[in-house]
Parts: sequence; C-alpha cells; structure tokens
Amino acid sequence: MKRRIGPRWIVFIIAAFVMNFPVIATFATAFKGPREVNLNPSLWIEAPTLENFATVLTISDRLNVYDYLWNSLVAALIGAILPMIVAFPLAWPMVRRGYGRSILFPAIVNLRALPLIIFAIPIYLMYATVGLLDTRLGLGLILAIVNLPLTLMLLVNAIADLPLELEEAARMDGARTGRLLLRVVLPLCRPALITTFVFGFITAWNEFLFGLMLTTSDAVPMTVGASFFFATSGGGVQWGVAAAVMVIAALPPLLLGLIMYRRITGSMVAGAVKG
Amino acid sequence: MVKKYKLENAVLASPTSLFLLAILGFPVILSLTYGFSETSFETLRSPEFSGLQNFRDVTADKTFWQAAWFSLRFGTITAVLECALGLALAVYLAPLIQKHSWVVAILIIPMIVAPAMMGLMYRLILNEFAGPIPYYLYSWIGSSPAFLSPKNVFTTVILAETLQWTPFAFLLFLTAYQSIPQEIREAATVDGTRPWRLFWKIEFPLMLPTLFVAVFIRFIDGFRVFDNIYTLVGSGPGGSTTSMSIYIFETFLRRGEIGKSMAAAILLFVSAFVVLSVAQWLLRRASR
Repeated sequence: MKRRIGPRWIVFIIAAFVMNFPVIATFATAFKGPREVNLNPSLWIEAPTLENFATVLTISDRLNVYDYLWNSLVAALIGAILPMIVAFPLAWPMVRRGYGRSILFPAIVNLRALPLIIFAIPIYLMYATVGLLDTRLGLGLILAIVNLPLTLMLLVNAIADLPLELEEAARMDGARTGRLLLRVVLPLCRPALITTFVFGFITAWNEFLFGLMLTTSDAVPMTVGASFFFATSGGGVQWGVAAAVMVIAALPPLLLGLIMYRRITGSMVAGAVKG
Repeated sequence: MVKKYKLENAVLASPTSLFLLAILGFPVILSLTYGFSETSFETLRSPEFSGLQNFRDVTADKTFWQAAWFSLRFGTITAVLECALGLALAVYLAPLIQKHSWVVAILIIPMIVAPAMMGLMYRLILNEFAGPIPYYLYSWIGSSPAFLSPKNVFTTVILAETLQWTPFAFLLFLTAYQSIPQEIREAATVDGTRPWRLFWKIEFPLMLPTLFVAVFIRFIDGFRVFDNIYTLVGSGPGGSTTSMSIYIFETFLRRGEIGKSMAAAILLFVSAFVVLSVAQWLLRRASR
C-alpha cells in the first residue's frame, strides 16, 4: 500500500508550529534586547542578545533564580527517588504473589486521578503544625505522593516482564527475599528505574500548585519563582527578562524529555492504558 | 508457608503503607474534622463542631456552582477537542512516523513544558504590546480580539489547554493505531476496501477502547485544571475562569474560610470517587 508522504510533512510542520508556538515565541523573545522587545513583537530577532539571561542570572535579593533552581532540583529529586524506594519492595509481591491487587493497587493508582487541591489544604495545615511549610523536604515529600501511582505502575509492569527463571535460580542457591530483591530483581529493573526516574523528575519539576501553596520564600520552586517575574510592581512586566526566566525554567525538563523521548512516550502510554 | 508470606508481604508493603499513612492519613482526618467545624486561621487549634454548616455554606454559594459548571464544561470541551485532533493527527501522520520516528519528539514538546509555564507563555504571546499573536493579527487582518476579555477568555483558555494536551491524545491513538496488526489492513486492501472505509469500519472500532480511555483521562485532567489558567488569568475577569480547583484555592488562601474550602474539597473528592468508580466499572464491562 503506497501512501504519499509529502502532504503529511506539511500537516506535521503546521501542527508542530501551532502547538509549540508559545514555546517558540518565548525563546525568540528571550533573545531580544530591552528596546527591541517593545518595538518588534514578531518572531524574527533583529539583534540577538544574551542580555536578558545576564540580567536573570545576576543575583538579586528579591528574585533569585539560583535559589529557585536549587529548590526545584532538591524537591524534584526527592519527589522522583522516594516513591521508587518505597514502591519497589511492594511491586514485587504484587506481581509474584498477587498481593494487594484487589485494594491497595487500585487505591494507589486512582490517587492519580484525584484533583490535587483536595490534598493541598489538609497538607498545608499539617505542614504548618509540624514545621514543614516552606521547606524543600516538605515540598519533595508531597511531590513523592504525586509520583507514587505512576512509579508503582511502571515498576509492576517492569517486574511482570522479568523472566521467572532467574529468580528461581537464585532461590535454589538459597537466597532470601531481601537478597533476591536487591541482587537479582533490582539490577534487572534498571531500564525501568531510569524511565521512572526521568518521568518522575519531569513531573515533579513541573508541578505548580503545591509549590504555590506550601512555599513562601525559602523553598520556592522554579515554576512558582518564574511567575514572580510577571508580578513586578509598577512599570509593567519586562517581557525579555520574563521570557528568559521561562526558558531557564523550562529547559531542564525539556532537555531530559527530548533526550529520553522514547522512554517517556512509552511510560505515558503505559500509565494511561493500565489505569 | 502461606503465613510466612503474609508477614513478608506486609513487611515489603510497609514502606509504601507508612509513607501514605504519614503524608495522607493525618490530613484526611484533619480535613474531615475541619470540614465539619467552624474554623478560621485564628482558631486553627480549637475547631468547633458545626455539623453540616460548612456544606450548607458551600452549596448555597453561587460561585461554587459556577466553578463546578466551569470545570465540567472546560473538561468536556477540551477532552472532545483534544481527542478529535489527536486521533486525526495520529492516523494521518502514522505513515510518516513509521519512517521518521523523531517527528513524535517534536509533537510532544508541549506536554513536557510545565502547564504553569505554558500559562505564563500565553500571557507573553497574547500581550497587546510584546505578544506576536496580536502583532501578526494586526498586520494581517488589521484587528485583534481582546483574548482575555470577559467575552473571549473562556475560548482562550480552552484553546491553550487543547493545544498543550492534544499531543497526549495523539500519543495514545498513535500507539493504538500502530498496534493494529498489519495483516488486517492488508486483507482489507486486497478486498478492495477504500482507505476511508477501512478507517471507519475496521481501524476506528479497534481503537474505541483507547478513545474511551483518552476522553476519560483528558476530562479528569481538564476538570481539575489549575496551573495554566491560574498563571494566565487567575480567576479571570469577574471570576469567569474560576475552576473547581481555583475556587477551593481562593476560598482557602485568599478568604481563609478553612471549613468551607474543606467541605468543598470533600464534595469534590466524593464526586471524583463516584465518577471514577462508574467509569472504571464501565471500562471493565466494555472490555469483557
């Protein structure tokens, strides 16, 4: 069956351009000087400059991008790694012994579909009590909850795909469960662990609502920090600077996602189909 | 032997169970307490039991119902648009993707950008002085609508959400389309079935389960929308873009009505639970 490819290229280019337009325009604006931003709103850059990035990266007390980036990095690392640590030992008996398949598994997986705002308020009040408000750890812990459902699903899928023979051989050698999990199952799951980590990191980095509610100054993540650049008092928004901030904020997940896009797309689909 | 496993399983499950209990268990009790009590930030530690008063306040609040109606419309319209566009793109571009798979990477970029960031980007590109969209509209057709005016803001947020999440539907449909066995298509083509008919009579029915899943997921995500609307327009002119999530957020942080916001969150949870259960029951029945 021969099909013509030419028109498909055109449709692809139009779709890619339209859907990515905000990103393209933001990148273009970020490289325009402060004068040009106000005179030339088109996508074409007359005199490309790194001035906006220099402004953003020059530390100022009120809007400190380095702090935002560091907060996002720490919180996203906790948010991506912690669910893997707690879910891995659970995923194995779920696959091999059908443990918790009727209640625990669906309960955790369904967490994903609930509006996050439901948890946000009680967690705010709890954090206020135990002193976790405005801390990177507090933000990381709740991001770990956000990531837990998909992490568990991806690990369950990965373990279900492993051949039983290796585990049986290890059992024959007298390996106990703990050893079996750490020495046999864990290394075999490495590809899935990498995918899960990348996906969890991107999700956690991009999260906004909890960052907005649970942090005020010390642990503000990049997504929330970026919005501060739009709320400058008086004189209006400096669009070039704001665009540069957005580029910096969007770059880490964008690079990770593009490098690992095959794994990412796979886990997105897996997460949707099994849910 | 079985008993030994039972203990071992419980041990293996304990990290997750304890983690969930610690982070979600206490808040659940808390939200139930506050949901049924008279509370403000000043009286946090001594909530006074007030029965169903908060629920009566919420259900008597016109803004609550407007928010529910907004979320329902927003979720439905965006889910339908995203799935229609995503399906069309996936089926039409599939032959191209078969040869050049990197095409997919370009199309999923919007999904990797934080929705909050996307909202901010729209603030830039729709801005009447610095934004390219009004600029091009002015230079091409001589006028540009006020995208964030009360009249247009709903359409604007719908379009922004749709353009960001069509790639998700596209990805699901692409996977479903690619997993249809090639023999089925070949057999149909040999029989002289035309492409259009092949799609509607054979391929589309095979992708129906994916369509249900995609519409459902996108509806849920649209219904609970917060980030991109909040960063683009907040609650909108005259509260016209107050989604359910934004309503609860504002009731809590802006107005400090803790009990009322908790009651709204509980109502939202219960309705989400019911919708989820029904949808999953339907999906299970359909797949049987």
